Amino acid sequence: MITLTHFLVVSVCIFCIGLYAVLAKRNAIMILVGIELMINSAVLNLVAFGRYDKVNYGGQVFALFAIVLAAASVAVGLAIILSVYRKYKTIDPNNITDLRD
Amino acid sequence: MNDVALHLSETLDHILASIPQFKPEFALIIVFLFSIIATLFTDRFWKQSSFFVSIIGYIISFFSLLPQLHQPTSGFFGMLVIDDFSVFARGIIVFALLVSTIFIQQHFKSKISQKNLGDVYTVLLTAGLGLNLLTITTNWLLVFIAIETLSISSYILVGYFSENKKQSEAAMKYVLFGAVCSAVMLYGLSLLYGFTGNLDFTSSAHIQGLTAAPQVMTTIALLFVFTGIGFKLSFVPFHAWAPDVYEGAPTPVTAFLSTVPKVGAIVLLARVTQAWTTSLFYFGELTILFITVVAIITMLAGNLIALRQHNMKRMMAYSSIGHTGFLLMAVLVAPSGDPAILLFYLCAYVLMNLAAFAFIDALEQKTGATELESYAGLGKKMPIIFTGFTFIGISLIGLPPTVGFVGKLLVFSSVFERHQSSGDLPYLALLITGALTSVISLFYYFKIPLYAFLRGGQSEQNNHASVTLIVVIGIILTSLVFGIGIFPDLLLGLFK
Repeated sequence: MITLTHFLVVSVCIFCIGLYAVLAKRNAIMILVGIELMINSAVLNLVAFGRYDKVNYGGQVFALFAIVLAAASVAVGLAIILSVYRKYKTIDPNNITDLRD
Repeated sequence: MNDVALHLSETLDHILASIPQFKPEFALIIVFLFSIIATLFTDRFWKQSSFFVSIIGYIISFFSLLPQLHQPTSGFFGMLVIDDFSVFARGIIVFALLVSTIFIQQHFKSKISQKNLGDVYTVLLTAGLGLNLLTITTNWLLVFIAIETLSISSYILVGYFSENKKQSEAAMKYVLFGAVCSAVMLYGLSLLYGFTGNLDFTSSAHIQGLTAAPQVMTTIALLFVFTGIGFKLSFVPFHAWAPDVYEGAPTPVTAFLSTVPKVGAIVLLARVTQAWTTSLFYFGELTILFITVVAIITMLAGNLIALRQHNMKRMMAYSSIGHTGFLLMAVLVAPSGDPAILLFYLCAYVLMNLAAFAFIDALEQKTGATELESYAGLGKKMPIIFTGFTFIGISLIGLPPTVGFVGKLLVFSSVFERHQSSGDLPYLALLITGALTSVISLFYYFKIPLYAFLRGGQSEQNNHASVTLIVVIGIILTSLVFGIGIFPDLLLGLFK
């Protein structure tokens, strides 16, 4: 029997993997992948909780909007990373440090 | 299925009846479409067509806002909440967007760029739409959509030109930092939804659900949600992107980023604190504690780090972080009465920052640099610009007779009242930090006249001051800063 707790544990695991990918900061594309994992863990949460909200389906609706907005922001992110690659010939955030105190 | 069919006509009627309340945003959406058409087709014949389309759009949006004054309603099943607070906030937003649009047009007028400028006006309109939504909602779903709309538009604005290395680096830092913050916020929102089964943060079901949930989990969820709001407001510890992005972005885009998004986010934060602190549950106190601590750290960090900056845009970034601390202080005392003080400070902040960036942009066009050292000795050559800039500096510090002084005075006096009536120490700490950081800020704002008037210039270039539109706007904004500083009742009476 798969309960709500199973879903929540899986989503926490995915969130932590995503957060690790962001904080490890090896490659800008990997950071975007990490962000995508974090958003998807939240989507999983929303759908799992939405099962108990039969009146408004708020969770499912929220999940749909979240997926669309995540796709939009990742598309913009990839375009910007492309323009960074054209200027720097690298996408390692540790090497892109012209702006600093 | 029958249930749905029965309610369908009622639902449709309600939606149709709510549309008139959506007019200011609807105007922006229509103008957004027209702006795309203008960019694609008519810009070939007349280069300024998309610019004028968006200017007309802001004016229409402003005038469709006026009938909503003093008529609080709600629409779309409580998704939209329209009250005077949101009407005034949207007025400030539309005004600032209008000025930013003119800045962009003036800034790129002389430059030959491969990029189509019309797209920038279009993206600015969507940013305005997101901001407007942020001020009129109490629903977490709509808050998330609004924040994402605003964020994605801002990423594009910063990264669109990518003229040099710095601009693309700023855009990349902005988009990565912003996307992480909004992902964390989404996770927090999903937890809040799980605890309460309700997305309206003012509803009693939401507050009851939060109280019933385990305290640790609620705290984590709230901190996650504040991450997203904190990114938009750039308070410590989510301020790291601000200096880099402000320095890297084109100056008119920086003028937009430093003013308008903060108005929307502050209104949202004020609504959240108002809804939660009036209900006497533990997380109301948690929210107050969180905002107090963050406000103190933000004021100190912003003003102290600004002291050792040499780039003007970077200095303005830290100064606006410091001002965010003041805005948080104003949010904290706003629930006590009407939001007039908060609105006044927001208005003052927007006027001062727009004027400052107008002068920075005018100077950048003349000297080609934004370093403080490049201003050396220019005071005699461009007396109008530097006199205005110095007065704006005085207002940003908070000295009389300017609007910055009146704003700070109002915030301080209401915090002091709160301290006297409750005797809480955090309010006293806020007061002391606020006074101290105002003194600290004096040292870096006065570097502007110091370099301009007292240091000699190294070379005798013959760049005489010609009065451009951007300088005229800067002077008008400066005189507004003075006028409202001397007669603050003009503005306060409006907000009352």
